[in-house]
Amino acid sequence: MPPAGNEFAAEQLKSQGNAHFKNGDYDQAETLYSQAIQKNSKNPLLFTNRANARLKLEKWEGVINDCLASIELMTENMKAYFYLAQAQLAINHPNEALSSALRAYDLCVNSSQQTSNAATISALVTRCKKAKWDIRERERIRRRKGLLPELESLLEIAYKKDVDDLEARLEAGEIGRVEATEEKQQLHTEFEQKRDDLRTAFALSDPEHLEIREVPDYLIDGITFEVMTDPVVTKNGRSYERATIIEHLKRSATDPLTREPLTINELRPNIALKEACTEFMEKNKGWVYDCEDGEEDTVPRWAHLSCGRRDYETS
Amino acid sequence: MFASKRLGKELTKLQDKLPPGITLVKADDFRDWLMDIQVMDENPIYKGETYRLKFTFSQSYPIEAPEVVFVRDETHPIPIHPHIYSNGIICLDLLDRQGWSPVHNVESVCVSLQSMLTSNTKNERPPGDEAFVRSNTQRPRDINFVFHDNSV
Repeated sequence: MPPAGNEFAAEQLKSQGNAHFKNGDYDQAETLYSQAIQKNSKNPLLFTNRANARLKLEKWEGVINDCLASIELMTENMKAYFYLAQAQLAINHPNEALSSALRAYDLCVNSSQQTSNAATISALVTRCKKAKWDIRERERIRRRKGLLPELESLLEIAYKKDVDDLEARLEAGEIGRVEATEEKQQLHTEFEQKRDDLRTAFALSDPEHLEIREVPDYLIDGITFEVMTDPVVTKNGRSYERATIIEHLKRSATDPLTREPLTINELRPNIALKEACTEFMEKNKGWVYDCEDGEEDTVPRWAHLSCGRRDYETS
Repeated sequence: MFASKRLGKELTKLQDKLPPGITLVKADDFRDWLMDIQVMDENPIYKGETYRLKFTFSQSYPIEAPEVVFVRDETHPIPIHPHIYSNGIICLDLLDRQGWSPVHNVESVCVSLQSMLTSNTKNERPPGDEAFVRSNTQRPRDINFVFHDNSV
């Protein structure tokens, strides 16, 4: 136990840290949380708070260490797993990121205050899966040899060089952090776009490898119109994505279809359907993650080209 | 947070295929859409007219109901109906906070309104229409309608 008085001092420092965090001064927040940790290293919340500040500062290793320290002090630690997953994803470890994100999701949906965070965490899970799939797909193309992998690696080299230049400019103080982050985002989007266009071009010249782009209705959540990842079934046998049906039930405790009374506790996981969804996503590659559409689309791998609507998503 | 994704999907569907008598007029963003509806049978009250609906979505659509009103211009009158006020406000349970369900969508709302018109035989406004239109300053979603009549 820390000596009496230290715990109090740590709390004070933490509140100051929180205030700075709120104002967007993450550097100062990180410093204050560090001082708080020196006073009291037994409080898991101090570590998760610092992890969150470091997340904003993109100090990924620091985030990971803090999260692990926090989990050590408190195992049922949704926040720590949530931040951990984001950092692991950022340093391109999607497998670890996915298992952390899934752990956060489990803790979230099993906690007593079900789950204002479920939707956010579920989105993170999807991003991890997408990253995993991306790596697999790249490996697959690499192994295939020929012109496509060669062109892809040229694109990648050019992209990496742009990112390095950007980081050098940030380092030299020529641009601010916010600006750098925005530009990095931009570069990444452009890179992905070019790569996808390239793959599309190759796919079109190779019709045997085209797949049918069609999601069966029974895998689609009737509320978001997306493929489900954690379906739950209601009393009348209909299934919905857990995070979205919970959002609905918080406002109106009724079955969306029959309007009969329905509470969160009455939802049951639909395990077989979940497996069907997972299998479908595994088999059907990246386009499902990019733009899951409920209907058939005529030309399969044009998918990413018609995804321009992403621009609208401001939230 | 789901709104733009879900509306994007609805839009793709609407652009592809719509039931007879329902047309998409304008959907430039994920805030306001305009839809036209026509009654397809011989009902003399509505025959030959086209009515324009304005949908307004919140960030929480489809968890929250969209706001749906009829809008008037030179070619689009407000339909006469005992549940439709002359300023375009519609009294329909599925658009009410209690009656809405996230499995509804733009198309199903249009279809419901279409059938609400088709099945109507009373060529009249709701009771108290004039007073309501004069005094109402609330947005439709904040009005607590009492659904006293389920026959129409």
